[in-house]
Amino acid sequence: MKARTVRKNSRARAAVLATALALTLGVTGCSSKAGTGSEGKEDEKGVRVGDGITDKTIPLGALTDLTGVYASLGKSITQAQQLWAKEVNAAGGICGRKVELVVRDHGYDPQKAVSAYTELEPKVAGFVQFIGSPFVAAVKQRVDGQDKGLVLPQAWSASLLGSPSIRTIGTTYDIETINAIDFLLTQKKITKGDRIGHVYFEGDYGENALQGSKYAAEKAGLTIVEQKIKPTDNDMSAQVAALKQAGVKAIVVSAGPRQAASLVGVAAAGRFGVPVIGNNSAFAPQILATPAGPALMKNYHVASPSLPIGSPEPGPAKLAKDYAAAYPKDDLDNGVVAGYSAGKVYGEALTKACADKNLTREGIGKALLTMKSYENGFGITHDFSDPKAPSTRQSVIMQPDSKTPGGLKVVQEPTASKAAEEFTFGE
Amino acid sequence: MSDTDQRTPPVAPPAEEAKSGRPGRSAALRTPRTYAWAAFAILLLALPFYLDRFWLQAGLFAMAAAIAAIGLNLLTGATGQLSMGHAFFLAVGAYSYCVLAADPVTENGHTLTGFGLPGWIAVVLAVGISGIAGGLFSPIAGRLRGAYLGIATLALIFIGQHVLFNASNLTGGFNGRSVPPLSLFGITFDDSQTLVGGIPFESAEKLWYVALAALLFCAFFARGVLRGRPGRAMNAIRDHRIAAGVMGVPVARYRASVFVLSSMYAGGAGVLLALVFQRTVPEYFGMILSLEFLAMIVIGGLGSVRGAVIGAAFVSLLPQLLTRYSESLPLVTAPGTGAGGIAPGEASRYLYGAAVVAVVLFLPGGLSRLRFPNLRSIRSTRTPRKGSK
Repeated sequence: MKARTVRKNSRARAAVLATALALTLGVTGCSSKAGTGSEGKEDEKGVRVGDGITDKTIPLGALTDLTGVYASLGKSITQAQQLWAKEVNAAGGICGRKVELVVRDHGYDPQKAVSAYTELEPKVAGFVQFIGSPFVAAVKQRVDGQDKGLVLPQAWSASLLGSPSIRTIGTTYDIETINAIDFLLTQKKITKGDRIGHVYFEGDYGENALQGSKYAAEKAGLTIVEQKIKPTDNDMSAQVAALKQAGVKAIVVSAGPRQAASLVGVAAAGRFGVPVIGNNSAFAPQILATPAGPALMKNYHVASPSLPIGSPEPGPAKLAKDYAAAYPKDDLDNGVVAGYSAGKVYGEALTKACADKNLTREGIGKALLTMKSYENGFGITHDFSDPKAPSTRQSVIMQPDSKTPGGLKVVQEPTASKAAEEFTFGE
Repeated sequence: MSDTDQRTPPVAPPAEEAKSGRPGRSAALRTPRTYAWAAFAILLLALPFYLDRFWLQAGLFAMAAAIAAIGLNLLTGATGQLSMGHAFFLAVGAYSYCVLAADPVTENGHTLTGFGLPGWIAVVLAVGISGIAGGLFSPIAGRLRGAYLGIATLALIFIGQHVLFNASNLTGGFNGRSVPPLSLFGITFDDSQTLVGGIPFESAEKLWYVALAALLFCAFFARGVLRGRPGRAMNAIRDHRIAAGVMGVPVARYRASVFVLSSMYAGGAGVLLALVFQRTVPEYFGMILSLEFLAMIVIGGLGSVRGAVIGAAFVSLLPQLLTRYSESLPLVTAPGTGAGGIAPGEASRYLYGAAVVAVVLFLPGGLSRLRFPNLRSIRSTRTPRKGSK
């Protein structure tokens, strides 16, 4: 009995061992992971193509937020980019290939965002959209180190500057804030020696804007009264009271649309009608329908890195028409312009890379670097040749107007203030 | 999904039967269960050779979550102490590791503190610091029970978030700080490629084995605690605090110690997560993460290691699976196409919610009570065993 068990035992053990051995030996044989390195193969036209690009399609990733805090922005950007892809494909595509958007919704969750990046990275040429600067920062090391795919993040924080592959389109928040304060100065709404309030979000958006306002204040001899808020703070009564107490002559808002509406509304109700100016993220057309609407139209301005969707210029007007035809139920907001411009920039880089017969990831990045004066039809000329600087230092100043589609009309054409031109990054 | 559903400590049951010697080694070898476990263990070891980075990363997230969930299950499942602050201790572990292992650098205008210690010392110290953080909370953890402790620990989340966003010299602020790669036995667990049997091993592949080893160690340790004297004392406190005290269990001390132990588990999980993420982001360590851990142990099964591991696999893998494949589900349209129907992200959330409700409704004891009928019948006839609790 015992002998039989022992024999059986050893036989079983041998079987297990043999299976294990067979498995480990077989492992490398049939794994699809062995022998990658398709980088730089040539197609029949002699164009070198990189990872993700096939003979028929150029897949581009879009890491967006359709279910989280930036859901309305993400929806506009994504739909505008789908519209861009459709137009490009209708015009014959790029390099004989169709552009295909691969969209993943991360719901502003870091784990999902990083996972989605990992999933799409081997399959796409690059990313035409990436919402959420902390997540972009999280994958920055990988993008710069090995992946090298061109990423156009929909975040305008100066902390994203400096990477050869991650390129923001338009001014960063610090430059935008400098231009905003300059507008108040040139309009004689404030003068040297005045105090101005700055209500800003905790986090890189607000803090980046604060760097700008401090710089501008130093240049113009102003004093900044800081009010730091959290994205969950919706009622600005306390901030307005504090700023009124401090005797500020104007207020800068680097927060969300809801906070801007509350701030302007509460200030106007308390007969504290100082001018208020916000960054481009501090406006959404929906706030004009709130009780703060009339006060917003009177006292509020917004600085932005592109013309508004409601502008009569041919670029925005055509986009507004096409977008309304494609998505009749959805609002027109500045996310539409941002998404569409990113698509156009990517398309231009792809076209140039194709002309250079180098459609690899490095080739696309290099093609973008050669775009020194690129005008995409939205009022601002971009220079992508320096990864350490934003593509422009110009801002458009706009005023809320309920009659214009998108709720904003231009009051000052794209300009870069002297202070913004002199500002240096990364100190 | 089928392979991950059973991600329990792979070698646990055969080892236990061998050690106790009850049915004997030969009997253990005769049950198909043993072979199933062995095959499963080999499968887990072989996965990095086959799966692409997405799946490995999903698995790594699940393993890190499993370690944290085991810790929470010791506290909440076995001792009946509710904690909403688990995410805080994950953050303590993750950020401690970064501060200890990183060299001082300047990033985005913040001068980040770093001690430049060797990786493994940093890991040990980070787990220790999480334990100390738990210990500092122990005057409260020892005195409060159940839901009251839950509310007290909720404060930790808010304090933690505030510190993470504002102590930018330590944490890097809003955008977090990059995580220095772990170095162990001359192997650096970063993205430099090492060829193993013709397969390029990058960070995910290498970390896979570290995570497996860590999970195995954590699972066995928790099992030892639960099956021994402390485990019985903990269950006594959960079931009847006064009776436990009368029997001579030092209730306050036990509560405090379990809290420290569970914080250390969370700290370890935090380090592993940081290594997988390659960057710590304060946003992540919020309320939702704490709630997810609670969901894991409830879904998996309260009070057992197996429950925690199964629950962690379920909660962390299902949304990823659904997000990835939701486009092929009916009624789902691609985002931005303007057609009616629900977006893939929304669909995956609905399905995830439905799955959670289904588990809680139909498997009140958690997923760990799910048995495969054929294995069970064979086992019940050959090796009669007492119930699991």
